Amino acid sequence: MRRRVINKGDTQLGVTWAWGSRTIGTALLLLGSLHAGASAVQDASDNKSCLRCHQMATLAYRDPTSGEIVDLSVDPNALSHSTHGELACSDCHAADYEQYPHPDRLKDEALACVGCHEEQDDAQERRYRFETIDKEFKHSVHVTSDAPEAADFGCHSCHDPHAFRNSEVGEDIAQIVRDDNAICMSCHEELNDPYRDPHLWLPKREKHREAVRCLDCHTPVSESGQPVSHQILAGEDSNRDCVQCHSKAPQLLNRLYQYRSETDLANKGWLSKAVFNEAYVVGMSRSPLIDRAALAIIAITLLGLGAHGYGRYRAYRRSKEDQT
Amino acid sequence: MSELYLYPRWVRLWHWTNALLFILLMFSGASMHFNGVGLLLDFQAAITLHNTAGILLTAGWIGFVIGNLVTGNGRHYQVQLRGFLKRLITQSIYYGYGIFNNAPHPFHPSSEAKLNTLQQVTYIGVMYLLMPLLILSGWAFLFSVYLPETLFGIGSVWVVAMSHLTVAYLLILFLLVHIYIITTGETVLTNMRAMLTGWHRDTHQETEA
Repeated sequence: MRRRVINKGDTQLGVTWAWGSRTIGTALLLLGSLHAGASAVQDASDNKSCLRCHQMATLAYRDPTSGEIVDLSVDPNALSHSTHGELACSDCHAADYEQYPHPDRLKDEALACVGCHEEQDDAQERRYRFETIDKEFKHSVHVTSDAPEAADFGCHSCHDPHAFRNSEVGEDIAQIVRDDNAICMSCHEELNDPYRDPHLWLPKREKHREAVRCLDCHTPVSESGQPVSHQILAGEDSNRDCVQCHSKAPQLLNRLYQYRSETDLANKGWLSKAVFNEAYVVGMSRSPLIDRAALAIIAITLLGLGAHGYGRYRAYRRSKEDQT
Repeated sequence: MSELYLYPRWVRLWHWTNALLFILLMFSGASMHFNGVGLLLDFQAAITLHNTAGILLTAGWIGFVIGNLVTGNGRHYQVQLRGFLKRLITQSIYYGYGIFNNAPHPFHPSSEAKLNTLQQVTYIGVMYLLMPLLILSGWAFLFSVYLPETLFGIGSVWVVAMSHLTVAYLLILFLLVHIYIITTGETVLTNMRAMLTGWHRDTHQETEA
């Protein structure tokens, strides 16, 4: 289960990850006093030392400037299953954390996703190139918007580095959709309000919410070869055209159907996939041209057959009359 | 009056299974394609039914091809080129003209040839061209992940979907004409009875020796 970080200062993509507070807070002070003078992080690879404190769900402090609660807790279970699960805390948090309470200057610790990910040996082979993500993200509505809620928006606003992992082919589609949409919904609370939800125009709203990710409509079809663009679109720029998914538009349909098919196959095996095919999207086989032409030809054929039958009937009556 | 055993049990069994599957496939296919329009099946139920029937149809088609290879039934699908065009035209003229003037049937089924040339050409087109296309496009729908992303520069799912749809419509047309044409036997029910019992009756024909 993904969880959104509520660290207010989590701006990313090369921007400083600031702890945002002048002091690390009373909670830490209290904890720190228990360990004063001890060198807690003896073994950098041993996350237990860090998690001993940070696994506490309530580890947080209130930012004196903004008044917001800055969550410092890390769920060890989520961390170990996350995409960063095999890393040591110190692989990212390289700075000096041995002192308790952690020194003030650490709040300015800079953590950049793009730099680290692009430096890796396998960066070229990855499905997602972080440079591309960076470019797309810069055009995202979360960056371009002037709305105060979008200020300081960064990678970690959606991707909790301590819990995030990519969905994988083979997982339950409904679960992937739920998890993915939960990220959006954690900020966009208006979507849960039937009077403010901007999707009122959308037929079968609940069905859509269960079946497709917000991203499926709110991102342009990526031409970078990456599965989903990070250029999140504003509502007015997003796809509102039903036929983009429910009919032709090969790209959007392809993206949606192929992904669901892959997942379906991996989940259930080929026979079950063949029988239940969860991937089918209503209307994906529809073509107004073929439908109209075919229905017209069928109607004409039926009329022709009817006329033919009538002609035969008259011939039959004639032969009967001739016999009598 | 002659009576000929033209349709062995396996052919009849295959034929009527195929017919049932065709009806199920048409109805469930329409339910998926036109989902939301009244009197159609529930979407998920339609998918399951359509796919199951499709798998069985595939098995039936393979059975039909094998049956034609290992039994004598295959000979009815071997076109005799001699006089082909003449027979085709004669048969067409009968359906288009002669039939309205109570002209005699130009073709009488025999154990050597149970299908008239027009039937033969149609059935070959349906069974060896349209059915394989229908089946292949149906399976390609399910396993499109193994296809290249684009075919002919268009998204492959779209190509597959349109092929399946077009072939399906053509087969619906075939079915309509087929159902009508079988009433043009000696009596309206002669041909239907033959496919049910296996025996073809013909009062204008002497029993073969």
